[in-house]
Amino acid sequence: MRKRLQLIKEALSIGVVTRKYPFIPAEVPEGFRGLPQFDASKCIGCTACGNVCTPNAITFVDDTSLGIRRLEYYLGRCIFCGRCADVCPTSAITITKEFELASLNDRDLRLVIDIKLIKCQSCGRYFTTFRHLNTVAGKLQEGVVDLVNICPECRRKLALDSLIKLGGLK
Amino acid sequence: MHQLISSFEGLQGKVKGINYLNDGVVLVDTTPNSLFDVVNFITRELKGIFTVIIGVDAREIDGSFHNIYVFSLDELKKYVLVRVMLEGSDPKVPSITPLIKGADWSEREIRDLLGIKFINHPDPRKLIVPESWHDGVFPLRKEVSYKLRAHGPYEPYQPRRSEDVIALPYGPYHPLLHEPEYFELHVKGETVIDIEYRGFHVHRGIEKLGEARLTINQIPFVAERICGICGYVHSVCYCQVIEGAAGIEVPERALYIRSLILEIERIHSHLLWLGVACHVLGFDTGFMHAWRIREPVMHLAELLTGNRKTYGINLVGGVRRDLKEEHIDKVIKVLNEVKEGYTKFINYLTGVREVIKRLEGSGLLPRTEAISYGVVGPVARASALKRDVRVDHPYAAYKDVYFKVPVYNDCDNMARLMVRVEEVFESIDIIKQLLDKLPKGPILAENVEVAEYREGFSAVEAPRGEDVHYVMTGKYSRVYRWKVRAPSYSNIPALKVMLHECPLSDAPLTIASIDPCFSCTDRLIVVDVNTGKRFKVPMRALAKGWRP
Amino acid sequence: MSLYKRSIWVFHLNTGGCNACDIEILDVLTPYHDVERFGIKLVASPRHADALLISGPVTREALPKVIDALLAVPEPKVVIAVGSCPISGGIWYDTYSTIGGLNELYRILKEEYGINEPLTVRIPGCPPRPEAIIHGVALALGIVKQKVKFNHIVIG
Repeated sequence: MRKRLQLIKEALSIGVVTRKYPFIPAEVPEGFRGLPQFDASKCIGCTACGNVCTPNAITFVDDTSLGIRRLEYYLGRCIFCGRCADVCPTSAITITKEFELASLNDRDLRLVIDIKLIKCQSCGRYFTTFRHLNTVAGKLQEGVVDLVNICPECRRKLALDSLIKLGGLK
Repeated sequence: MHQLISSFEGLQGKVKGINYLNDGVVLVDTTPNSLFDVVNFITRELKGIFTVIIGVDAREIDGSFHNIYVFSLDELKKYVLVRVMLEGSDPKVPSITPLIKGADWSEREIRDLLGIKFINHPDPRKLIVPESWHDGVFPLRKEVSYKLRAHGPYEPYQPRRSEDVIALPYGPYHPLLHEPEYFELHVKGETVIDIEYRGFHVHRGIEKLGEARLTINQIPFVAERICGICGYVHSVCYCQVIEGAAGIEVPERALYIRSLILEIERIHSHLLWLGVACHVLGFDTGFMHAWRIREPVMHLAELLTGNRKTYGINLVGGVRRDLKEEHIDKVIKVLNEVKEGYTKFINYLTGVREVIKRLEGSGLLPRTEAISYGVVGPVARASALKRDVRVDHPYAAYKDVYFKVPVYNDCDNMARLMVRVEEVFESIDIIKQLLDKLPKGPILAENVEVAEYREGFSAVEAPRGEDVHYVMTGKYSRVYRWKVRAPSYSNIPALKVMLHECPLSDAPLTIASIDPCFSCTDRLIVVDVNTGKRFKVPMRALAKGWRP
Repeated sequence: MSLYKRSIWVFHLNTGGCNACDIEILDVLTPYHDVERFGIKLVASPRHADALLISGPVTREALPKVIDALLAVPEPKVVIAVGSCPISGGIWYDTYSTIGGLNELYRILKEEYGINEPLTVRIPGCPPRPEAIIHGVALALGIVKQKVKFNHIVIG
């Protein structure tokens, strides 16, 4: 019995630990993985984040009739692992500390980014985004830069043709 | 190691080959006809304790199904994997359930998911897939898509019961907390005679998902979501398997960080359990205090890893997030506070006479039965069975720290409580040792390349016991087969023994004592078989001694 | 929106989740967060509840029981989906053993029972922090405003 009374004494000495949230903002520690923020002006549509996303919260669909690559981010499927931000080559995705994400409908949990696609100069099919191409071209040496506007399949054919012309293959 | 191999010489002609998977794991090949002899030899001569059976659909590789029987040799600090190759067109093998009670679930699982027949298995019912699942569709076979939803109309589960018992359904919906699981307690008078279990409401097809859609480095994140309380254990275990199979050198610092987070997880899990146990006993004050003490540990986890529960810091080859110097002092400070509050709390708790009286002598699991069911973790240690993967099969940084493994001989609920209580103190001590010795250096291995069709096997001590993963790697950095055996899988079947002849009012506590994540505020429907009368009883009332 | 002028009672239903959300829900009831401040309380039967708290991706085994529980909650009812799993099916949205979240559940309810989608608060997170759960409930109570909104961006 005495022990139980001690427990009451102890509880009184600890006092109230309850936090006042939502009336005052919550403390979020440094490095908390919250909402991924997409900076559309930096996105080049390279699909790296889509490949690494475990729950397929980030998906890419190429719509050739409109000539766009559509990035769809579905917050309702996200597991907040932050892998997308790790792999993004242009740092277009940053992990914020935002966690108050409740929504009254499904649509508000979605983000859509449409990125224009570019056609292959040789075969005329869409193959990648204009921005992706620009970034890649900026990193290449002169001489190969003009090959950038051609899709990988055509490039392979072209390379083979030039080899044959050189007499390397018969 | 040579000693172990030479001990198999007596089985000449029955063993086709012996290989090492890695340092602590031996793979023995045998035939279905010699299986009984080999299993008998391992359990009797080598004192092996049954762990799990792994079924592999290897028809793409060698045209057969593989059944791998896993035994843990705690004294020799080795795992023995006994592999049997089964015909691809009509796989069948003798059931070992008559020899080892713990094999029951494993065999039923493989029958459900891979369609391997077990000759003379005593229980023909489904275990994993829903009752409505179409017969003849085996989700883990390679030709079946992971998206195939082969469901027929809903059929309610048909428990087996005899006429002269009263059946108490426990679940499947726990109106308040935790997972949907269904127990049926068979009661004569006030005494529980038998228990029926229908779980796997939470079967989400994780293994198939890992084999079908995900790449090797995505699986740690899925593995973490196998269990929300001790999920980090699964992701560590998975990474260890791949690292072992591919021969990846993990940096020391990463191993230390893994051990550290594992121990933080153990502390919060045991405190959570302690709270729930108090709640089951009707001691709600204890529940609130345990969770109050636990909360700073959760804040700590959030600070170190970026999330309170699903830490997401594991990758194959190391960890993603380094431990910052300025956080070390904070960790020590919080742990000291937790230790102080926890010591006081345990002092009060063990001083409450009613609590002790309820715990002592209830839910007995004798040592011999514990071995037969192959129970793990605190349940085993409370039954005088000194099993701890951290000591028996050291991994991560546990070889560098010193700690005591609490073992109790009382085999009752009190012993299970005391094991967990002591483990929290040990964990706090381990964390301090780890922080003292924390080496500097990189945290992620640079070259992570995994060859195809390599096998790996590893175990980790979860808060609930031994967690086991097996992986066969596949092409294009995917896995071919991923098998997970969580600790509760071994412990829940042992409830049959713990609840036998136990008073009804002790049943909820005993079920909670193995820590299968059950809430106390569960509701029971009491069905009197003779009169057909139904009563609905809250668990809490039952815990306080409700009678019809 | 403020459906309820007084305290709301909640029935918690785990439809096959991993427990992470469930222990955070439990956490919300314990001293540090204590939602009983708002009169929110977990009840033992859906018939006593105003709101149904769902965690987990709705596995096939659990589906009939989830429908039973949902139908047992009296009108007007709110469904609170905690975590990414109930909202969309989470990581397991397309596996053989789940149905893929609430949207699919609502489709089944509409087709087989002719019941429209009840008011649903979706709380993303894996698991959501206890504060995020409080935020979601406060959103249902009309104490706070919704922060996320749909966005469609077209870039060159």
